Amino acid sequence: MSALTRTRRRGGGVPARRAVMRWGWRLFRREWHQQLLVLGLLAVAVAATVWGACVVTNTQLPSATYARFGTASAMATLPGSDPALTADVAAIADRWGPADVIETQRITPAVQLRAERPRGHYDAPLLALVDGSYPAGAGQVALTAQVASRYGVQVGGTWQPAAGSSWRVSGIVANPSNLADQFALVAPGQIARPSQVSVLLGPAAAQAASGGTLPGVQAAAVSFPDGFAGGISPAVGVLLAEGLGLAFIGLLAVASFSVMAQRRIRALAMLSAIGATERQLRLVLVANGLVTGAAGAAVGTALGLAAWFGYAPALQRDTGHVVNPAHLPWWAPATAAILAIAMSALAARHPAKSMARVPVVAALSGRPAPARAKHRSIVPASIVFAIGLALLALSDGLNAVDGGGGSNGTKHALLLLAGLIATITGICLLAPLAISVLAAGASHRLPAAIRIALRDLVRYRARSGAALAATTFAVFLGMSICIAASVKFDDPLDWTGPNLASNQLIVPTQTSPGPGQIEQLSGTQLAALSGAVNGLAASLHARSAVPLETASTLYQAGAQPHGPQNFTGTVFVATPRLLATYGIKASQIAPGTDVLTMRPGLAALPRMELIWDSGCTGRCAGSPVMPGTSGGPPCTLSNQCLPDPVIATIASLPGGTSAPNTLVTQNAVRKYHLQPQLSAWLIQAPAPLTAAQLSTVRQFGRSYGVSVQTRTGNPSLGDFAAGATALGLLIALSVLAMSVGLIRSETAPDLRTLTATGASRGTRRMITAATAAALGLLGAVLGLAGAVLAGMAWTRSGPSATAGGVPLLDIVTLLAGLPLIAAAGGWLLAGREPEAISRQPLQ
Amino acid sequence: MTMLELRRVSKVYGQGPAQVHAMREVDLAVEPGTMVAVMGPSGSGKSTLLTIAGSLEEPSAGQVLVGGQDLAALSRNDKARLRRRSIGFVFQDFNLLPGLTAAENVALPLELDGVSARKAHQAGLRELDALGLADRAAHFPDQLSGGERQRVAIARAVVGGRQLLLADEPSGALDSANGDVVLRMIRTACAQGVAAVVVTHDAQLASWADRVVFIRDGRVIDQTVPAPGPESLLGQHR
Repeated sequence: MSALTRTRRRGGGVPARRAVMRWGWRLFRREWHQQLLVLGLLAVAVAATVWGACVVTNTQLPSATYARFGTASAMATLPGSDPALTADVAAIADRWGPADVIETQRITPAVQLRAERPRGHYDAPLLALVDGSYPAGAGQVALTAQVASRYGVQVGGTWQPAAGSSWRVSGIVANPSNLADQFALVAPGQIARPSQVSVLLGPAAAQAASGGTLPGVQAAAVSFPDGFAGGISPAVGVLLAEGLGLAFIGLLAVASFSVMAQRRIRALAMLSAIGATERQLRLVLVANGLVTGAAGAAVGTALGLAAWFGYAPALQRDTGHVVNPAHLPWWAPATAAILAIAMSALAARHPAKSMARVPVVAALSGRPAPARAKHRSIVPASIVFAIGLALLALSDGLNAVDGGGGSNGTKHALLLLAGLIATITGICLLAPLAISVLAAGASHRLPAAIRIALRDLVRYRARSGAALAATTFAVFLGMSICIAASVKFDDPLDWTGPNLASNQLIVPTQTSPGPGQIEQLSGTQLAALSGAVNGLAASLHARSAVPLETASTLYQAGAQPHGPQNFTGTVFVATPRLLATYGIKASQIAPGTDVLTMRPGLAALPRMELIWDSGCTGRCAGSPVMPGTSGGPPCTLSNQCLPDPVIATIASLPGGTSAPNTLVTQNAVRKYHLQPQLSAWLIQAPAPLTAAQLSTVRQFGRSYGVSVQTRTGNPSLGDFAAGATALGLLIALSVLAMSVGLIRSETAPDLRTLTATGASRGTRRMITAATAAALGLLGAVLGLAGAVLAGMAWTRSGPSATAGGVPLLDIVTLLAGLPLIAAAGGWLLAGREPEAISRQPLQ
Repeated sequence: MTMLELRRVSKVYGQGPAQVHAMREVDLAVEPGTMVAVMGPSGSGKSTLLTIAGSLEEPSAGQVLVGGQDLAALSRNDKARLRRRSIGFVFQDFNLLPGLTAAENVALPLELDGVSARKAHQAGLRELDALGLADRAAHFPDQLSGGERQRVAIARAVVGGRQLLLADEPSGALDSANGDVVLRMIRTACAQGVAAVVVTHDAQLASWADRVVFIRDGRVIDQTVPAPGPESLLGQHR
């Protein structure tokens, strides 16, 4: 033994830590299924973060104009009519090169012929070879996949877009930054009469440009790309969201690890009896937390990456640019995993400390340490809650969410965040105090099982209070999302919701060659499209294609120039045909009405203005040059602006954000001499469009180079509320499942006594069911009340205006469904005969 | 040197009307190589005596010395070290750690004391071999019989050259044959210099002791040297 003695260390050192960790790991392997909830939540949180970080990183291009500028700092555009075109291009390249020259000529409404040198200085994001080779000389062309498909040609085949023109297809190309970009690439110099020449240039040209042109080349119009999106990566936002999620999972993990610690209490006591220090006892549970966190992180990372690789092709379709699945923000998954492991280890610390302090003798007998209830005053909790409400009230409502812009927007967002944190903290501190209410409810008239359950909740309030706080938080979370969604959906200016009904589609009269680019179709193209649209309507069994005209827009003076508070959507003209489509008769419109809308509340908004002839009748409302806007001329008829137009609400208009939900009347058009312009056609099929019909519609759009709008996946208020309610319910039930088990395990000796005195399985079931139901009901009431109060502070309005829009079903689901489901779960899972002996052998 | 010495040790649980005197001014001395059996009715304070002697609980009054060291002067960590190096516990319900093999259970006190895993494992195997359990070393507790588990617990209690063995009803969950085996092992440990205190209800097993201490209502009421055979104890202090 002397050899052993010599090697012994005072604190046990590494061998002791290794032994303890080994035991922790073995216990995890044996009992991992008892920690499935925490493992699952951690895995979901990490998976969602990994997937989310990958998606947000790959969704956006470096800038909005990336698909046109590539990495260039400026673009000089010269019209094909420039008499000195060749000399000007040469001069520009000579003075401000290196330059990439792109000559274009539209040969069909949808296809552009483009002469460009591949692998230029700035065009790597704009041109990529998919198959075959780039065109090398005269008679060769490379097509995008859509063009090749439309003309039914392959690499090596012959492309004949028009009579007399014929090219051999050398390859398939694409614009990686805009996959909707349809073009035919030819070698430089192969377009005899380009309609336009673009020259991509470096920073020198950007610095030299003045007055929108380049010195010495008057024909060149210079434009610049949008600033690159700098600052904080969007993945950081995803990680912050994960942090918040993990904070809540941490609460659940604390409860779960407490249950585990209670189950292992005798083993831990034995470890202490054979000489383990408190530190080593703590390490057992912290090791379990670490292993749980690592397992959750590993599973979550694998799931997240698998989901990402599976979703990347769909994201590429949705975003319209090339998405490289291997382009991952690797630091984000790594940080997500580390956060999950750290949170899990932190969550294990509290039960570890509690367990290490339990007297060994009590622990050896298997008696759980009774949690000591601390007396808490209601005052600090109320103050924190009140501060939270005050901060929410100062956060300027929806502007804080939508980021109203500028430093004010940041300030309001920070106020909102601080307000939410303080409110949630206040609720979590206040909720445990409400446990006393249960004592008052435990009247002697109640059945014994319910009475026992309620009194046990009060007796063991250290645990039941924490459970109630977590349940309240879960309900608060779900209901807050419902309220925020209903407030957002109720905003008549910033109209939110699905864009169209599933039987509607809109064919615009503009093409969109690239992001942010709108080109009006020429007269000829428009005539061709008009005829085709009617054919499309007939093929969809629609009565006809209804022309949609625009002539004006709405604006609320005094609102932020670019803020979300102002009018979103398009004001179409209330043509007789459009009105007839929705069964609105002229007699329904009161004389003198200027605007018709289905948006509830729009008619009552103050300082509304109808603006026309500003060259901006759509979403650009708020341009500083518009009358009635900040810095613009006053809103008068002479400035093409009508203050306080007469707005009437007509519920039969469609509600989609892209549908004609707001119309300017023919009366106003005539009275103010508005000049309607055709902007789209609305086709309303008798039934929701089938997948085959949608495919036909998309094919139609590609043929004419227009983006046909059909119903997108934008959620409705009902979708939002149902999702939020389900989230709150799921979290609350998870909390209840764990905490009720913990509370009932604390009262196990009483249950044994009860059984010994003749209590049936039904009584035991009733006790557990009543425990779960009481916590669920109290949590639902407190969470709902807290959410409504927070909503009232946030919107600075009354309860009906705040929560009136929330679907009643969701409120009932939380208020009644939560306690009922909890009770049913408690009833089903309880009832097992308690252990007959007071002490269970360890092994 | 006396291995275990209790000097006027008292233990009171609770306060006011709920106060319970579990031990009242108990004196006890156990020499190395001696086996002392503690007998008494339920609630007499036998187990309290054991837990106080093993530093798992603190006495309300009096002094406890283990190997000459006053437990009152030791910190919690020092007491833990004392348990690792000098005191071994054996409980009625075995208390082996799930998830660890028999050899790992035995080696654990050494590992907790900083002995390398390899050396601790070898020491554990030696102890198991001495108790005839070498072939069960790699088995987990739930793969062992009750008797085997208790023998593993004894091996764990004496591994590393510990000199004080405290056993609380070590044969309480075993049949008589296995109970005899366990007591014989404790006796063997005592023959090698270990001081043992064994709490038992069983006069047959107490007859293995060098001395039997009778305790009632927290007081030592008698001490005797058992004559050969259990009959000598059966009539006493029932």
